[in-house]
Amino acid sequence: MQLLRSSRLTGIILIVVALISLPYWASRYWVLVMLLFSLNLALSQMWNLLAGYSGLISLGQQAFIGLGGYALAVFSIYYGFPIWLSIMIGGLVSVLFALLMSAPIFRMRGVYFAIGTWTVAETLRILFSNWKYVGYGMGLFVKPAYSLSFNTIYFTALGAGIGSVVLVYFILRSKLGLGLMAIRDEETASETLGVDIFRCKLNCFLISAGVTGAVAGVLYLHNIFIQPYSAFGIDWTVRLVFITIIGGIGTIEGPIIGSLLYVFLQQWLSEYPSVSLLILGAIAIGVILVAPKGIMGSIQEKLGFEILSPRRK
Amino acid sequence: MLSFLSELKVPITNGLLLGGLYGIIGIGMSMIFGIVRLVNLAHGDLIILASYLSLVTMTLFPVSPLLTLIVVIPAMCVIGFIVQYYLLNRVLGKGMNPPLLVAFGLSIIVQNLLLLIFTPDARTLLTSISVKTLPIGSFLNIPVVYLVDFIGSIVTIALLSRFFNRTYLGKAIRAASDDEGAAQLMGINTKSIYAIAMGLAMGTAAIAGVLVGMTFTFYPHTGPEYLIMAFGVVIVGGLGSLLGTFLGGLILGLAQILGAHFLGPGFQLLSGYLILLIVLTFKPTGLFAKG
Repeated sequence: MQLLRSSRLTGIILIVVALISLPYWASRYWVLVMLLFSLNLALSQMWNLLAGYSGLISLGQQAFIGLGGYALAVFSIYYGFPIWLSIMIGGLVSVLFALLMSAPIFRMRGVYFAIGTWTVAETLRILFSNWKYVGYGMGLFVKPAYSLSFNTIYFTALGAGIGSVVLVYFILRSKLGLGLMAIRDEETASETLGVDIFRCKLNCFLISAGVTGAVAGVLYLHNIFIQPYSAFGIDWTVRLVFITIIGGIGTIEGPIIGSLLYVFLQQWLSEYPSVSLLILGAIAIGVILVAPKGIMGSIQEKLGFEILSPRRK
Repeated sequence: MLSFLSELKVPITNGLLLGGLYGIIGIGMSMIFGIVRLVNLAHGDLIILASYLSLVTMTLFPVSPLLTLIVVIPAMCVIGFIVQYYLLNRVLGKGMNPPLLVAFGLSIIVQNLLLLIFTPDARTLLTSISVKTLPIGSFLNIPVVYLVDFIGSIVTIALLSRFFNRTYLGKAIRAASDDEGAAQLMGINTKSIYAIAMGLAMGTAAIAGVLVGMTFTFYPHTGPEYLIMAFGVVIVGGLGSLLGTFLGGLILGLAQILGAHFLGPGFQLLSGYLILLIVLTFKPTGLFAKG
């Protein structure tokens, strides 16, 4: 067991080192692929934290992606704030908005929560496309991002990707994580044993919103151009849902596998984006019908093998 | 005050007529929500699918869009039956999230299939009535197409209400919705009842799709807009009541047109969404829910 753990640790370190040194030995194309992988990983890990561990199916993650992207654009262009500060402000704005939105949205359950979050995001989309300050629907160019090198953006994205995995790992091993797992196993019993369900779920919602907002800032360093119809579009959440379900909802490794699959499929079918979404949709439905725990969940169930176990040994 | 009201006469009339259209957009979703306990996240996209089916029929046979219903309604009924019987029935009873996510996947598949076949261009089901207006009195002009939407909606809802109250099948569907176990004991095959209900709901989606196509332009990505509107109608109107759904449609239609009238056309959708969020927050069971 000790041997297995140390070899597992060596494997993880090797992969991380390989990813960090990637720009120095791989082609620019592979760096781009891994950049997209890292961003998708960070965002889908946050959806996984909500849907997989807190039971909150949010279809409104694009609200925070849009807010984070616009915070970067507005603060770096209009006020000349440093880029990294603008990204952090994006995270903060997302947390504050999530807090504001939680007052009505946490009164809704299940399906109501899903469509409620989606409607909030759609409302933001309409507001931003009618808001003169952010250039209506025409959007904004994040010009200050041109000063950054491609490698800087890659390292930031990689940091976000790895950071999201580490964050979820530690959340699950913390008191909050214990509470979440207790709620998942038996909601009523956990409440009688003193788990504050509302607070646990709210904390997850806020963490997920903040990280999503900040990661969106990094995303728009790469995208350069932000426009309300794409920034607040449901397409983002579609992507996160498919990645997480196919990889394995409620597992830390699921979003990793799912993001890899997603990025490769997207690159392979880059000329036919609608075909790749079509295939992903079909795979996702197939996964729910045949193996509802996704790729990683099924592997764990069969082999009892977890790369990152949230359990205390 | 009187001049203020007469100024509002046009938006109020248009809002109510448009509300009729929203009623029929929501009725299929309301049925499935009430009977199968499933929120069909693909409802909006299936409505747009019906619009495209009508478009295809119109290019094959040069007839009015309303006549294409002869083809589109049965086609959508069959699609609905198959989707429910072979796909959604398999995830029912496995908790709340699997059916929701399967429907979500279905929505994306339909959207991208339409995008692949029909390109992202905006389409419309053009008819001679699309641009006509009907003068009422001396200072009120009603777009004829809105009137057709409203009448179509009322007729459909009246027929549905008759079906649910008078026929054996309608009663069986209601029984399966009230108590699945008891209905099974009475010899009702609830799984096929659900599939029939979905077929029926898609029949109403077919009518909605054709009316939407006649009234507005549509493209493969308009589905979610109508999904949220349908959900709004269901929430505002409350579950399990056909009349409530119709009233929910009227409220949302009025809210949108009045919002556009006071705040500008960019805010038409927004005022509908705000009403939905307010009702979701304070009375999620709907304004006209039974019991």
